[in-house]
Amino acid sequence: MELLIATIANFLATDGALLGAGIAALTGIGAGVGMGIATGKAVEATARQPEAVGKIRTMLMIGLAFAETTAIYGLLVSILLIFVS
Amino acid sequence: MANLSAQLLAIDFSGLRDEIFPDTENHVIEAGWFVVNGSVFSGFVVVVLLLLAALILRLTVIRRWKTTPSPMQMFVEWLVSFFDKSADEMCDRYGTIMGPYTLGAAAYICFGVLIELFGLRPAIADLGACLALALCTFLFIHTIGFASNRARRFKHYLNPINIVSDLAVPVSMTFRLFGSILSGMVIMDMVYILVEGIWYVGLPLVLPAILTPLFTLFHAFIQSYVFASLTLTFVQEAAEKVPRKMRKPKPKRAREARAL
Repeated sequence: MELLIATIANFLATDGALLGAGIAALTGIGAGVGMGIATGKAVEATARQPEAVGKIRTMLMIGLAFAETTAIYGLLVSILLIFVS
Repeated sequence: MANLSAQLLAIDFSGLRDEIFPDTENHVIEAGWFVVNGSVFSGFVVVVLLLLAALILRLTVIRRWKTTPSPMQMFVEWLVSFFDKSADEMCDRYGTIMGPYTLGAAAYICFGVLIELFGLRPAIADLGACLALALCTFLFIHTIGFASNRARRFKHYLNPINIVSDLAVPVSMTFRLFGSILSGMVIMDMVYILVEGIWYVGLPLVLPAILTPLFTLFHAFIQSYVFASLTLTFVQEAAEKVPRKMRKPKPKRAREARAL
């Protein structure tokens, strides 16, 4: 029993951080889906009204920056888990 | 092929940690009280380079300003009017302040990342540099908000969620910038370590040359553009006039009834 607890504690201390880093990288899924939807809608809007391309591009860039932020947070967390712990 | 896989297995990435989070005791310059780490040193280099470039442009291009422009004059005009025009569009009355600020911040971010190409640590891959830039933006947002709305701006703070979202702006700008620049740097450092381990037919020459534009050049321009446009968006939001409370017109029927 004590051996099991020691093993689990050892696992959490060393490999648990790496596992957490892997889980934190899953934020990329949401950001990818969101950015894909935003880009697709921007393409649709440009096809419908090609003269508004400048405004659409600015809005798309800002939206992509916001959507990208969550993915960057996940990346930062996983980098910190790998290298700092 | 067995040779290549043996080489790949022999690479050790243990040096990566010191590259990403360098030792706090390890300083580039150390002269008495003047202690500077790698990022701040490359920040100084970037500032000196930008000032020199501005001086050279002032002495050569702007002195010989012509109606039929030279290519360099075209470039300077395009650069300045790009930022000035977007600042004027977004926050019309304060465009004269925001244009130069966004151009300066974007130039610092762009060159602070591009200095990685010379082997120095990028100036922006440091939490302090990102926080300083984000706090500048924070200061601009609130100064312009108060200048535009005076005391009516306080009505904005009656809702406690607005206070939280205002405080979240510098934090999110800091981590966005820091995270994206740091991730580019980590990937490039991994590639450099990989390339040191492999001495296979021309791969050390080709691989960094393909990957550097993706992870350094692309990031530099995109992040500086995003920082400038986010600053303008937040300032526009803060500079919007709060609608005055309309005085209720007296009900017409009552007045008519009194006249009768």
